[in-house]
Amino acid sequence: MKNINSNKMVWAMIFVIAGLNININAQTLTGRQIMQNVKDRPDGESRYSEMKMELINKRNKKRVREVKSYSIDIGEDKKTIMFFLYPGDVKGTGFLTWDYDEIGKDDDKWLYLPAMKKTRRISGSSAKKDYFMGTDFTYDDMGSRNVDEDDHKLLREEEFEGHNCWVIESVSKDKQSLFSKKISWIRKDCLVALKVEYYDKLNKLHRELILSDIKKVDGFWQANKLHMTNVQDNHQTIITLSNSRFNVDVNEEQFTVSNLERGDI
Amino acid sequence: MNRFIFSMLFVLWAICSYSQNLNNDLSFTGFIDTYHAVRSSSPNDFLSSRSRFRGEIKMHKGSSYLFTSFNVVHNSIIESLTGVDLREAFFDYSGKSFSLKAGRQLVNWGVADGMRITNIISAMDMTEFLAQDYDDILMPVNGIKLTWINTKVNIEIIFVPIPTFSIIPHSNENPWSIFPSNENPVYDINMDNKPDYTLDNSEYGTRISFFLAGIDFSFSALNTWNKTPVFTRTLSSEKDTLFVDAHYYRLNMLGSDFSLPKGEFVFRGEIAYYFNEFHEVNNSADPVNKSSANWLLGIDWYPGNEWTITSQYSHKFIPNYVDVLVENENTVLSTVGITKKIFRSTLTISTFAYIDLTNNGFYDRSSLNYSLSDEINIMLGYDWFNGEKGIFGYYNNNSEFWIKARYCF
Repeated sequence: MKNINSNKMVWAMIFVIAGLNININAQTLTGRQIMQNVKDRPDGESRYSEMKMELINKRNKKRVREVKSYSIDIGEDKKTIMFFLYPGDVKGTGFLTWDYDEIGKDDDKWLYLPAMKKTRRISGSSAKKDYFMGTDFTYDDMGSRNVDEDDHKLLREEEFEGHNCWVIESVSKDKQSLFSKKISWIRKDCLVALKVEYYDKLNKLHRELILSDIKKVDGFWQANKLHMTNVQDNHQTIITLSNSRFNVDVNEEQFTVSNLERGDI
Repeated sequence: MNRFIFSMLFVLWAICSYSQNLNNDLSFTGFIDTYHAVRSSSPNDFLSSRSRFRGEIKMHKGSSYLFTSFNVVHNSIIESLTGVDLREAFFDYSGKSFSLKAGRQLVNWGVADGMRITNIISAMDMTEFLAQDYDDILMPVNGIKLTWINTKVNIEIIFVPIPTFSIIPHSNENPWSIFPSNENPVYDINMDNKPDYTLDNSEYGTRISFFLAGIDFSFSALNTWNKTPVFTRTLSSEKDTLFVDAHYYRLNMLGSDFSLPKGEFVFRGEIAYYFNEFHEVNNSADPVNKSSANWLLGIDWYPGNEWTITSQYSHKFIPNYVDVLVENENTVLSTVGITKKIFRSTLTISTFAYIDLTNNGFYDRSSLNYSLSDEINIMLGYDWFNGEKGIFGYYNNNSEFWIKARYCF
């Protein structure tokens, strides 16, 4: 029953987005509507990908992290299970997240430590502002975010790298947020961001994200390369996605602590 | 020794080659580490000096999973510990709603950090007391574990045919020996009173765990043994020898634990009642059977910016207490841990302290862990024992500086 409803929802979203594409130039969308459309961009019911993260400091010294992850949509919520593959000292470590769309509701998170053979419950709210494994991406950047956690404003429409884009300013409603605002360049044809600028509390540019290698995988648009640069300390992280698959053969029952401890689903 | 290692490497190579031919998902990983600790007070002797090769072989084939880990160790201080030991070796089969894990495996129940309330099926390697990583202290069990798996509930049944008991440092060559190397009286220690390998002496237990939105909790029941022995001490008639005998008894446990995240905090708790626990007495008489109530409350704070702050408070109470017991009627132990990561998580600064509130002593392990590269970590630390009484007071002169390096492959 749940699957039927979910499928209906995806088809409804595809229909809505197709309709939006037709009417895209016929009406002016608000910043919020555009960001909602970006969030609702079809990406299947479930997905799998492998991520290689290259961390490059200002002396060009490189470190590498590799993870693989599965995720599944449960209505507006999402479950994700992620396993660390490299480097060796964290290999086998796993994260299980039940990510809730509802504003103010903390996510449920478990961390599995293979050396101890122990799973521990961790805070679902605080780590969002921390950087993920020493990269330039925060946990918040890596997860999904309710559109209404920010105020969005359409600044202008312009061509960026040969694509017609909306330029959206998003200001967090959370006063504790690390950033005063972010500005996103959203491709009109596929609803994928090409660039995102993050500004600090002094309104100075802090980080810049460039998304590239944008193409359809299993019929869904995806940016396969994400290059984040911290312009204030010249540290950068390049995330390359590989072996991505959508609508993979997983179900909600597989996103469990047991599979987290087993290292695969 | 060398022949054994070469034989083992040959067998590994053969397994890898054979498995690759079968198109199995096989990996061989591990690490090499070296650890050296020197007493910070006179005579500044080395309390530990050991190097280790850890190999881990994992093989997936469909729903089956094989895992083996072993250590090849050279210990310069306690030469009897130089050699090869099998750490884990188990087979795991996962069906749609159950898993079967058979073999030598680590079992880690409960939610406590570095303390044992419900997690008493695993024995502890106390060779260097607590002055080693906790994952090295926890000993595997040889058992069979059957788990029924549901999205939000796991029911686990474990059977351990032959129990494993904690390793208690007692030899004179070990600076962590719990017995003083007196000349008068001389200690004559007998640790060989372990139960026979019979079906009657096997261990079994069950745990039902719930993983729900906003809370985890579990209930456990266990028929086990006291993994740490109870000692009797008898002075010879000439008063020149103290005979110390280790005794092991059946122990039953009923327990429960929970984890409750709330904003930046996670609240944890465990409670367990030990039925028929035997206790050492102050005279030469036989140990006394007294059940005990044990509980722990913990709080983890994740304030962000890569800080983690934890604290735990545990309490043991012996009802119907009698004054001849060596152990107090109430024993209170607390822990405090602080961890901060800086420089893009390449440097971890941490401290973890056990505070003995019963005897006013503490043991603190503070360390710096720097990731030199993706494969190499260097750690520097200090173990600080303080107190007049209790186990931390006993190790008062064992405060030490230590250095550790690890290469992972």
